Amino acid sequence: MRTEACAKTFGGRTVLSLPAIELAPGRICAVVGANGSGKSTFARLLAGVIPPDGGGAVLPPRAEVRYMPQKSYPFRLSTRANILLSGGGEERAEALMEALQIGRLARRRATGLSGGETAKMALARVLSRPCGLLILDEPTASMDMEAAILAEGLIETYCKETGCAVLLITHDLQQARRMAGDALFLYQGRLWEQGPAERVLFAPERPETRRFLEFYGGA
Amino acid sequence: MWTAFRKALALILSGDRELGNILLVTARMSLSSSLIALLIGVPIGLWLGSCRFRGRQALVVVNRTLMGMPPVVCGLLLYMLFSGVGPFGRLRLLFTVEIMILAQVLLITPLVAGSLETYVSGIAQPVRETAKGLGLGAGKTFLLLANECVYPIFSTYLLAFARAIAEVGAVSMVGGAIAWKTNVMTTAIMQYTNRGDFSLGIALGLILMAVSLLVNILVSLLQRRLSR
Amino acid sequence: MKKLLAWTLAACMLLCLLAGCGGPAAGGSQPPEQSAAPTDPPIDESQPPEEPAGVDTVILKEQDDSMINTYTLLAVNPDAPFTDEDGNPVSDVAVNTAGAEALIQWMLSEGLDMAVQYGQAEYGDSLFYLLDGAPRYEGEIAAAADETRTIRLSTTTSVNDSGLLGAILPAFEREYGYTVEVQSAGTGKAIAAAKYGNADLILVHAKSQEEQFVADGFSYVLDGFQSERLSFLYNYFVLCGPSDDPAGVKDMDSVLDAFAAIAGGKYPFISRGDGSGTHTKELALWPEELGITAEAESFEGYTDWYTSANAGMGACLVMAEETHAYILTDKATFLTFQANGGIMG
Repeated sequence: MRTEACAKTFGGRTVLSLPAIELAPGRICAVVGANGSGKSTFARLLAGVIPPDGGGAVLPPRAEVRYMPQKSYPFRLSTRANILLSGGGEERAEALMEALQIGRLARRRATGLSGGETAKMALARVLSRPCGLLILDEPTASMDMEAAILAEGLIETYCKETGCAVLLITHDLQQARRMAGDALFLYQGRLWEQGPAERVLFAPERPETRRFLEFYGGA
Repeated sequence: MWTAFRKALALILSGDRELGNILLVTARMSLSSSLIALLIGVPIGLWLGSCRFRGRQALVVVNRTLMGMPPVVCGLLLYMLFSGVGPFGRLRLLFTVEIMILAQVLLITPLVAGSLETYVSGIAQPVRETAKGLGLGAGKTFLLLANECVYPIFSTYLLAFARAIAEVGAVSMVGGAIAWKTNVMTTAIMQYTNRGDFSLGIALGLILMAVSLLVNILVSLLQRRLSR
Repeated sequence: MKKLLAWTLAACMLLCLLAGCGGPAAGGSQPPEQSAAPTDPPIDESQPPEEPAGVDTVILKEQDDSMINTYTLLAVNPDAPFTDEDGNPVSDVAVNTAGAEALIQWMLSEGLDMAVQYGQAEYGDSLFYLLDGAPRYEGEIAAAADETRTIRLSTTTSVNDSGLLGAILPAFEREYGYTVEVQSAGTGKAIAAAKYGNADLILVHAKSQEEQFVADGFSYVLDGFQSERLSFLYNYFVLCGPSDDPAGVKDMDSVLDAFAAIAGGKYPFISRGDGSGTHTKELALWPEELGITAEAESFEGYTDWYTSANAGMGACLVMAEETHAYILTDKATFLTFQANGGIMG
């Protein structure tokens, strides 16, 4: 899957300006960068939630995209009904709830869940159906370590089984290193470095990337 | 005031027929108008709050202006339109409960729409983003959005009902406060007060507050039950 | 559940608070049912009735020729030159002429006798008197048909507030099968309602405006009557004030002298100030050199004693009672106010 070159400005300020990017099916691509580097805007452009400047689409028209926003909204329904919304069927929903240890919350109204429980519900909801491109914006940010490890396993399995491309936006450098095959480093709205995760996340070429890595967990 | 309390009680207990009629007309008018306003205003509010289109902001401003429309102005407008010499005079609707309901619907619908719009525009973005991320269509997204509004819809209904039952300017204008036909609690209170019969006015006022309290309790119970 | 409880509690507290305010006043005033009619002696011209405890305001002057108030019925002409707001003629205005005729015929026969009796039972005093030379109807009255059943009667608030129509119209409705819809408004609006095609007949008490209504072609002469204006009842406005009567108006020869005395001594006076019939009458009673009119500027210099309330009769009476002021009022409203013990006072 290949994205078009895209740009986004808010109030005259260019927030994002990216070249075309190749996304490999069956692989997880981590998107890292500091706050305000344009990671979430990139995710929202890809998901089609906001239009890029100049109209058009960032992805080919028939691409099937699933997207989990940073603050995924818990609908005023039961946890089970929330997960069933995406149309993955009962069995898949049960299995996901079991895997994320939220089976006992199935009948509870999702609006009453804690932050971590809501994140688990949202992940189960987005993973319940296969797709071509999965975009996850900080999926484990409000989970504890144990839950995050569970979630990572599920995402990897999903990626392998469905053969979809996964774009993982994360603050957690260790998580990116654990999961990603490829990586993008965004810096001030530009694509600063891209390539295999072993290089970008461990031995980057450019000084800005190195400084970022040092700051977030040592090179 | 104590006498008024006693009078109010005596009036209710005596089953005074005129009072019964006033209560009935009041109930019919305020329940119908608030429900109709809800049926019209909620979709408008959902639409205004959730859709982004050119001119939306202008419509929101127009709606907020209508929210502040003085009831007497609304009453006067309808009075002119539905007078015998007005364009709709043939319908012979003036001085009927129907036109009182119409006047109140005109007054209350903007309130309902405005209150819903404020709530919906607060949650529309995350809801739409999440729904889009799950590959849900526009219709389903709208239903989900509406489902999010169940709780505020109840409080909006209470607002609408409170306005309907307490409103006097428009209904006295188009209803004419005709005994046995269009006289409601508020116009009757005005009438009694002008007549110097304060105790009857207070008695009616107490009943009005009691009815209001009752409706509030009922709707709140329903709200708790349905929105859990 | 807890929230609901707190809520209910708050509402109860509010009600208790309201009741509490009324507490002390309640002790002083007797139940109106016991104190009203029975203790009133028959009225003669110089002796105002005994007022029940609690109300200090009393009738000081009544049945004075300058305070006479004549009531007139006018049928609305179906072929009147109706126009819409833009002045374009409107021809097909629906007016229930047969219904209006029946009601007028009844008011000038059986209704007349009932009207004159009205007030005797409740206040031991008539509120309306038969006008000398009032037209009378002796013939048959047509019963209601489907087309003519609903009669729209437009009248002024003071007529409606007197309770007269509520007392006598049910007899007419029962006997002849009509439904009379009484709408009341200020004199101006009551007449305007007819001009807008919203009334079949009007009952008003403002001679000059009635004559204008006739001159504009909005009324017509019914069969068997001499004039469009069918004046049939009259009563008097009354001048009320505090029982100790500081201006001494009770012993004055005429109401005009009384008003001059009030103005001369700058005793507080409450004016309706709302353009009502009562207000119009009051304006005509002040000495001319004061120049008091409906315009706010005209009494700018008198605000230390002259209060333009711009309120209904009842509210004005409360104000007069509270401030020991003089006030011009129709008798029916005053008697109701008095019978209720001036509940707010």
